[in-house]
Amino acid sequence: MTGAADTLAIRDLTKVFRIKTGGFRHADLKAVDDVTLSIPPGRTLAVVGESGSGKTTLARLILRLLEPTRGTVLLEDTDITAMEGAELEDVRGRMQIVFQDPYDSLSPWQTVGRTVAEPLLLHDGLTMKQASGRVADMLERVGLSPEHARRYPHELSGGQAQRVGIARAMITRPALVVLDEPTSSLDMSVQSQILLLLQSLQEEMDISYLFISHDLSVVRYIAHDLAVMYLGKVVESGPAAEIFASPRHPYTEALLRAAPRPDPAHKTDHVYLVGEQPSALDRAPGCPLYGRCPISEDVCADTPQELVDIGAQHRVACWKRI
Amino acid sequence: MSALLEVRGLEVSIAGLPILRGVDMEVKPGEILGVVGETGAGKSMTARSVLDLLPAKATASFATCTFAGQDFIPPKARQEARGHRIGFVPQRPRGSLNPVFRVGNQLSATLRRLRDMGRREARGEALDLLRSVRITDPERVYRSFPHELSGGMCQRVCIAIALAGEPELIIADEPTTGLDVTIQAEILRLLGEVISERNAAGMLITHDLGVVADVCDRVAVMYAGRVVNVGATAEIYRGALHPYANRLVSIATSLDSGGTPREVPGRVPNPGDHLAACAFAPRCFRAGPGCFDREPPLVNQSGQVAFCHHPVTAGVVPR
Repeated sequence: MTGAADTLAIRDLTKVFRIKTGGFRHADLKAVDDVTLSIPPGRTLAVVGESGSGKTTLARLILRLLEPTRGTVLLEDTDITAMEGAELEDVRGRMQIVFQDPYDSLSPWQTVGRTVAEPLLLHDGLTMKQASGRVADMLERVGLSPEHARRYPHELSGGQAQRVGIARAMITRPALVVLDEPTSSLDMSVQSQILLLLQSLQEEMDISYLFISHDLSVVRYIAHDLAVMYLGKVVESGPAAEIFASPRHPYTEALLRAAPRPDPAHKTDHVYLVGEQPSALDRAPGCPLYGRCPISEDVCADTPQELVDIGAQHRVACWKRI
Repeated sequence: MSALLEVRGLEVSIAGLPILRGVDMEVKPGEILGVVGETGAGKSMTARSVLDLLPAKATASFATCTFAGQDFIPPKARQEARGHRIGFVPQRPRGSLNPVFRVGNQLSATLRRLRDMGRREARGEALDLLRSVRITDPERVYRSFPHELSGGMCQRVCIAIALAGEPELIIADEPTTGLDVTIQAEILRLLGEVISERNAAGMLITHDLGVVADVCDRVAVMYAGRVVNVGATAEIYRGALHPYANRLVSIATSLDSGGTPREVPGRVPNPGDHLAACAFAPRCFRAGPGCFDREPPLVNQSGQVAFCHHPVTAGVVPR
């Protein structure tokens, strides 16, 4: 999985949160558990999972917004896991994020121009005047007009606000952009506009995307590679087309079966997993899906499952499916 | 078959801004009607008008509104039906339950009010209702506070509350938004089952075309305060007459098959924006000059009704 040319390579990344469980008692919650992934330049890796699966924590660890408990993050072959101060600030210009809610992630007091220029002021030391040309170019590139630089977020539609978020992320020409559910709060007709924009920016600038989503139809369209997470663990990873065509892990299968598809002839398979996702605190020591899995056996409860390559980069953490 | 709920010429404005501009909609007995549209299209406002639950500054007027043959134009008729004849399943299940009361008490209070039950009787019926929404340990859930239950479980409780008055119609407003995919599938199946078990009808408001394809018999597509296209689900997905509906289906199916979606330029109009005679004309790939100043005519073709000068008659185009 790790090549010298990867934009991002993470190894054994783990984050344990210490949770108060009442009185003087504590419990350790493994939000991200031994995750190893990589993204080559110009490719999109989608991380898919339900709420509580650890996908947002994973993104925060990669961006160094959270300190990992264990493991390493390599951005363009540089280990950024232990970086601090000015060194880290320099690296931050190479990795950016686009958030889910376009309004919440823009400062209501700042003009669009100032918001988009900010990364240049911070990372490249430009003044507002020096940045203005590049801001105007960037706004045009994301489908807005240079006049939008004088507007405030409340004057924008949801789609326009998300274009501003994208412009801010792209203006430093980063190597990696984390897209945290960038289209899930947008209307259908606007959603496709944003997806097409993200795709053309990627082709033009050779950016790598880490695309976090629970919407499988969006992922099917935009992702080259896929990692499926459940309770902090990657349970299946590999080329997206391959996984969509032949999912191996029971959890991936459940997700694909449960996703409603825009085809009246296709009826969703409603019952596959048993019950609901437990808290990560109550996870079995073995397979995280134990207890809900339709094909599990007693050994699954306490035998940890490692990802095993079953060919063509397709990896599955289930002994019954390798 | 005559409609269970029939709404014609519904107009709603809030603080002088037109929100609904002549909505025609009907729900037939035993069917589930999907109401699809983007933010601000008027899906929720249509449902709230029927329940007489519009915001304080809103004014509504109907040309026709009947429910099972009864005139529903007087607000009092709609208020009396709320809960009794029409059940409502909200979008945010946890937010719609009272956080300081046990969910069982909220359910039995509803039963006592709607069905004049005594305390003991209501408790027994509440447990039965919890069982009927496939809750396996109703005693525990009965004693729980909303924060002790998962989102999916709260939504089951809300469905049980909606069923408490033995309604003939259940209106569900984005009932699975915010729920995980696997839970969403279970809740949708449950809704479909409880509606058919009770010989009731359903109105399902959603923006997800996958959800519609899964559970709805007919679809009404709304845009900018009007229903622009109605038809049997299979017909709409085979080739919606209205270019807007047609493009939405085309986007959803291309994404689903991993293909490149066609773009719809521009954005959804806001209330108060100046609208062309056909509100979709500025974004439409088939619009001609007439679309901007002549009211779109009603087109009735292959089991669909649409309002359009240039309806799409060639299936889902273009891919």
